[in-house]
Amino acid sequence: MAITTLTVRRDVMGESKADAASERERLARRGTLVVNLLSSPGAGKTTLLEATARCLAGRSTMAVLVGDLETDRDAQRLSPLVPTVQLTTGGACHLELALVKRGLQALGDPQVEFLFIENVGNLVCPASHDLAEHLRVVLVSTTEGDDKPGKYPKMFRTSHTLVVTKLDLLPYVPFSVSSVIEDARRIQPELDFLELCAHTGAGVDAWCNYLIQERSKRLAEYL
Amino acid sequence: MHEQSLIKSLLQQVEAIRQQHGANFVKTVRVEVGPLSGVEPLLLASCFKQFSPRDGNFPTELVVSEVPLLARCNECSVEFEVQNYTFRCPTCGAGVQVTSGEGIYLIDVELSDTD
Repeated sequence: MAITTLTVRRDVMGESKADAASERERLARRGTLVVNLLSSPGAGKTTLLEATARCLAGRSTMAVLVGDLETDRDAQRLSPLVPTVQLTTGGACHLELALVKRGLQALGDPQVEFLFIENVGNLVCPASHDLAEHLRVVLVSTTEGDDKPGKYPKMFRTSHTLVVTKLDLLPYVPFSVSSVIEDARRIQPELDFLELCAHTGAGVDAWCNYLIQERSKRLAEYL
Repeated sequence: MHEQSLIKSLLQQVEAIRQQHGANFVKTVRVEVGPLSGVEPLLLASCFKQFSPRDGNFPTELVVSEVPLLARCNECSVEFEVQNYTFRCPTCGAGVQVTSGEGIYLIDVELSDTD
C-alpha cells in the first residue's frame, strides 16, 4: 500500500442519532413524552416549568432534568414541585444524551407522562444534539427581541414548537409577535405557535392542553 | 463550542477505520459540512489539530468541504438551493425536504503505510 483513499461517506453523528432514536422509542413505549426546552439564557424556561408543574398537578405526572453550566439553583426552584435532577455541564455549552441518561438514572428512571429537559440556555449548540426528545420547544421572550429566528436558523428549523414568553411585557418593549412567527415559519413552516406569560398564568392552560394533545399524538406513532 | 465533541467522535471513527485496514498512517480525512451543520469549518479544523493523537499514526490533515444547502419540494419535486433559510418551494410554495447541507459527513480517509 502506498496511499489508498478509502471512500466512507458516513454521518459522523450517525451512531449517536441511532442511540437517541432507540432511547426515544423505549421512553415512548412506556408512555413518557420527552420535551426538550431550548432558549437563550433568561427567556423563562424554569419559570415556565414551575407554572407547568402547578398546572399539570393532579392531571399528569412529570419529572425534570435541568441543565446548567454550574449551580443547582434551578433544581432548588423546581424540586418542591416535581422530581428534578440538576445536570451541570461544567462549562459545556449544551446537553448530550449521555448526561440525560445519567440524569434519568438519578431520577430512578420514573414512569412519568412527561419528562422535561431544560437545556443549557443557548440558541446555538443545543440545536445540534438529539436528546431522545419527542417534542422540541424553543422559547423566545419578548424582552430579547423578535430578530432571533433569522439569526439562529438551525434552532428554529429543528424545533416543533415556538413559545413566546413574557407576554405581559409586550407593551413596554419593541417586539412584534407576528414578525417573529413569520420569520420562524419561513425557516420551519410546520412550527406550532403559542404565547404566554408564566408569571400571570396567561396562556399556561393552553400550553398544558397542547402538551397533553401532543403526548397522545406523538406517542401513538410508537404503538 | 460543540465542535470538540464532534471531533472526538470523528477521531474515534477514523482510528477504527485505520486499524480495520491495517494501515500505519492516516494522511488525510475529508469531511463535508453545510450551512445547517451547526459547525464552523475553521473551528472544526483547529479542534481536529488540537485533539489528534500524537502517537505517530496521525500526521493528518483535515479537509473540510463546504456544500450548499439544497432542498426538494414535497409537491412538485423541484430541487433548488435554499436562499436566506427560506424553506418553501420557490415554484409552488409547498414544504420541502433538505437534501444537502445539514449534518456532518465523513467522506473519505487517505491511508498509508509510510509517513
